[in-house]
Amino acid sequence: MERALSSEVMSDFDGLVNEYRPRIFRFILASLRNRESAENLTQECFVKAYKAREQFRGAASVPTWLLQIAANLVRDHENSGRLKFWRRALKVDLTDVMDVIPDRQLSPESMLSVKQEVEGIWRAAAKLPERQRTVLLLRFVEDLNLLEIAEVTGLKLGTVKTHLFRAIESVRRALEEKG
Amino acid sequence: MNRHLTSKQISQYLVGDLTPEQEVHAHECSQCGARLARLESSLSHFRSSVRNLKETRPMTRMYSGNETMAGFTSVLIHAGVVTMILLLGTLKPVQSMISKSVTLIAPNLKPYEATHKGGGGGGGRSPIEASKGKLPKSAVRVFTPSRVDPTDSKLPMVPTIIGDVPNITAQNYGDPLGKIGTPSNGTGFGGGIGPGMGSGIGSGRGLGSGGSFGGSVYSIGGGVSSPSIIHKVEPEYSEEARKAKWQGTVQLSVIVDESGHPRDIKVAQSLGLGLDQKAIEAVEKWLFKPGMKDGKPVAVFATIQVTFHLL
Repeated sequence: MERALSSEVMSDFDGLVNEYRPRIFRFILASLRNRESAENLTQECFVKAYKAREQFRGAASVPTWLLQIAANLVRDHENSGRLKFWRRALKVDLTDVMDVIPDRQLSPESMLSVKQEVEGIWRAAAKLPERQRTVLLLRFVEDLNLLEIAEVTGLKLGTVKTHLFRAIESVRRALEEKG
Repeated sequence: MNRHLTSKQISQYLVGDLTPEQEVHAHECSQCGARLARLESSLSHFRSSVRNLKETRPMTRMYSGNETMAGFTSVLIHAGVVTMILLLGTLKPVQSMISKSVTLIAPNLKPYEATHKGGGGGGGRSPIEASKGKLPKSAVRVFTPSRVDPTDSKLPMVPTIIGDVPNITAQNYGDPLGKIGTPSNGTGFGGGIGPGMGSGIGSGRGLGSGGSFGGSVYSIGGGVSSPSIIHKVEPEYSEEARKAKWQGTVQLSVIVDESGHPRDIKVAQSLGLGLDQKAIEAVEKWLFKPGMKDGKPVAVFATIQVTFHLL
């Protein structure tokens, strides 16, 4: 899945943007849940990547590298206090993300149940600290393994496990409360 | 191991932190398997919902052109703009506007305030002009005017004048600029000595002595050096005078103060057609090295002649 970095890949930066931009965007949007900020940060992520392309030696895969930049941007953004969506624990705004429930061939009842489940996870994630949320998204949305998550976040493997466990616990409790 | 997994262990299973026995149980126990599947299914729905998020705006294409070329073009454009600005400066209308700069000098409109006005006239209405003599002592007030012939008062008061007094050795009081001869109070009136009016000595009018004595404004000569011009502004011709081809000299009487600025400029000899005013305007901007008395700058009277002539 991960594509090893090579000079050919970096020489076609346009192609790299086209390939990874949707993924980076959805990670940032899921982290911030604000479409405008997510679009800006996605742009910023690729600008940073473009500027740093010479220094990149291919120690990590391209998506891991890009997610690393994106995760840093998300953390900076949250620390700067420009947006406090995730801190508004009680009033969670899901307008930017909740109209995208996958359209499957489900009965209306099942559809409603799935929607409630997903909404529950979104709300639970909204209340998580930034680190835990990032680890949760990287594990269950981006399908990264624990070592890759450690690389992206710059955390130790043990710390990644702790964050992931706490995030899953929060999600599980939220789902159990829903019924 | 037959015990079911706890809620915590369900979470640990997703982290991959279970013991091998717990792992085996999770796979074998249908109840625990169902709980795990339910959680995984919920997370899977969440994954799908996140993966369905799409950007609304079209992707912005990153610049992939020749950077050197782009930099070169940028330099060219900047150089062009700078050249345009410099070229604007060479245009005639712009240059004429720049050359029309006006030097603004705020003239000191405050009239010159001499501490003591010179020129107290005197006189006893005598047909003979005031005789030469010493000046009385300087004082801030004059109680009794100076006379060449002291009165026979029972309680005589020493006569005084206001201002600086040059040291002149003489028996009687008199005008230091007067003639030696019969003692006379002069042709003026008012109780002093001299041809003027007032209680001082000299040809003026007032409390002090004549133009040379008593005021803090001095006349040139007698230890007072004349001021010399440091900065001179040529007067302009007035429009009327130019049309009339009018030429001549305006004589101005001024006081050049201690700082070398002309004050109290008055026309002594007029030329007319607006040239007097032009002469005053020019002289107002002049700067002098002030007249010196005993090594100190002093205000002095001066006469300035401003000559107007057409080429």
